Amino acid sequence: MTDTSSNPTVATSSSESADLLLRRDHTETVYNSEPEISRPLQLLANVFRSAWEGRELAWRLFLRNLRGMYRQTALGLLWIFLPPLANTAIWVFLHAQRVLEFSFPTDIHPTVYILTGMILWQAFVDALQMPLNQLNQNRSMISKLNFPREALLAEGLGEILFHTLVRTLLLIPALLYFGANWSAAAWLSPLVALLMVLFATGLGLLILPIGSLYQDVSRFLSVGLPFWMILTPIIYAPFTTFPGNLLNWLNPASPLLMCSRDLLLLESCGNPAALWYGLVAIPIFLLGLVVYRLSMPALIERMTS
Amino acid sequence: MSHENVLEVRNVWKKYCRQLKRAMWYGMRDVGRQLVGSRTLVKPHEALRPGEFYAVRDACFDLPRGQCLGLIGPNGAGKSTMLKIINGLIRPDFGEVRIRGKVGALIELGTGFNPILSGRENVYINAAVLGLKKKEVDRVFDQIVDFSELSEVINDPIRTYSSGMKVRLGFSVAAHLQPDLLIMDEVLAVGDIGFRMKCFQHLNQLTEKGVSIILVTHAVSMLPRVASRVVVFDRGQIVFDGDLEQGISLYEQKLSAKIEQRAEKVSLKSQVEGAIETVETCDEFGSPKTDFRTGEKLCLRIGIRCTEPIPKARINVSLSSPTTEVITTTATVQQGLRFDLTSGLHQFLLEFDNLPLLVGAYFFNLSLFGEDMGDFHHRRMAVGTFRIVGVDTDGGKLGNTVSGIVRIPNRWTKLEASPKESAAS
Repeated sequence: MTDTSSNPTVATSSSESADLLLRRDHTETVYNSEPEISRPLQLLANVFRSAWEGRELAWRLFLRNLRGMYRQTALGLLWIFLPPLANTAIWVFLHAQRVLEFSFPTDIHPTVYILTGMILWQAFVDALQMPLNQLNQNRSMISKLNFPREALLAEGLGEILFHTLVRTLLLIPALLYFGANWSAAAWLSPLVALLMVLFATGLGLLILPIGSLYQDVSRFLSVGLPFWMILTPIIYAPFTTFPGNLLNWLNPASPLLMCSRDLLLLESCGNPAALWYGLVAIPIFLLGLVVYRLSMPALIERMTS
Repeated sequence: MSHENVLEVRNVWKKYCRQLKRAMWYGMRDVGRQLVGSRTLVKPHEALRPGEFYAVRDACFDLPRGQCLGLIGPNGAGKSTMLKIINGLIRPDFGEVRIRGKVGALIELGTGFNPILSGRENVYINAAVLGLKKKEVDRVFDQIVDFSELSEVINDPIRTYSSGMKVRLGFSVAAHLQPDLLIMDEVLAVGDIGFRMKCFQHLNQLTEKGVSIILVTHAVSMLPRVASRVVVFDRGQIVFDGDLEQGISLYEQKLSAKIEQRAEKVSLKSQVEGAIETVETCDEFGSPKTDFRTGEKLCLRIGIRCTEPIPKARINVSLSSPTTEVITTTATVQQGLRFDLTSGLHQFLLEFDNLPLLVGAYFFNLSLFGEDMGDFHHRRMAVGTFRIVGVDTDGGKLGNTVSGIVRIPNRWTKLEASPKESAAS
């Protein structure tokens, strides 16, 4: 018997029963009104344990969504390629027609530059919206069953990484055709991209409580994202003069995206701000996980499934 | 926590707000409170914010291992909120819930089903959502499919299944969870009658193995098949905890009261010539009584006041229960009776000898008519509410309780084998 701490408190003493499935582990769970955050270490441990317990569920859901998508479409994987490809094609076309007079780094072909940026931007946007999307798509499951909530995030992250990986395949022929500057630094690029995805997921998790209660958040995102993309140096070289160069610091999408792309294509991290953003990425992600866990019961209360 | 108990609910309170805008704002504040870790130190009755009320107030009960408990009550009484707290979906505002062991929930059948995928794939997904590992599912997969009676179509996409088939598959997966505590919300009405019987049998097997079950349902007539105890919720409070029959009867009484309230509003009073003033149940000696036993005599005393004479008046009466609707009807004309009512008060007596009704709550609807079909004077709905609190037999000591809504007189005989058949064997 443990003391009356916050939920779920785990005690021990398992006893094996004759029936294999009938596991009589006498783990005691306590639900009360004491805030879980009053024991921060226990809370973090709970987050990690829950994530670990949810690994198989995450995998099942990942397979379910992937197979579901395959079987219901004629073009299958092509739908993963299409958004960044179409986006790139349009901007390259406009650029070639001299409709837009954007500057580009001199030693790289605009197609490769834009395509890389687009793939990374797509990953950023998907990660930012993922927590809210997962919550909305699985409302009935969340509001009726108790399962490790972290599994939904793991599944969402898995999908984003899978899609990004598949899209990266597009880059190989583009790099071969248009030529690239291969360097050792390029190997760091995926790592920075991963940090960017975690950072964006963290931001998505932090806005989740508001986004779940007020639809204004998702409406704001759908209105604002196209503008946000234009403000991020994807279809043009980053600003170097004041005040434009402030965006390299202030736009949270810019630093890690630029760094990941420039490491791959230009052999250097294009934005010094990336160091700071890189440093806070994982703490922000962890903070997001904690907020997610703590806010869930209050959100479920207000959920109409 | 005592060792026999799988569940202990101690003084649980839970607030709720129906106004959308306020609920959203309170949601933000509650999230904020969780994040900064502030505790509510005030007492429950001081802590309500504008627009809030208690969906659950001061709930206390225990559940021993291997017992099946029915949780009943009118709509909005707080049953589902209580289940959500026990399931750990939402947190109590005050009080505490302790659970020993694994909890399984049978709330929505087939959660996580993807219609595109096959039944086989969906069994694994559904089981994963319910907390079963792949190895465990492998071991019971055949049992699950056998139980659902879907082995022939298990490899077809779920969207080709009928809704009944889906629910059967969902129940089969959930039924093989084998938790310490199983929570079920309104899922007893599954599939056809044969499958339902199988579900009851399965639930009984589970309790024999030591699984405790909490069952929320409105179909109280099914409860005696599985549950041995009921907790009745009304307006957030537990108003009864104990014996099945008493609890069900109390619940039906609550329902009748609700019907009565609604009926008061729709009571028609087209003309002022005559009104049904009083309706009262009494015993054979004429003294008012509302609790009866099966087989007793029930008399209904009806008072009608007329301001104008009503020639050839007739009275129609129907007897109903809140859960099964109309049980029987009777009318004065069935005995060829019509009354020429003069101005003033008139009394009528309607007698039921050997009342065959079984445990539950019942009520009457009365109408007063004149000579013709359209000559309608007054109607009273849900009046003369009474309860049957017990059967006038040996109380089921020999396993011969009568269940259902009526006891129909019957006779048993053992037939002697005919000489021809005896010779053959």
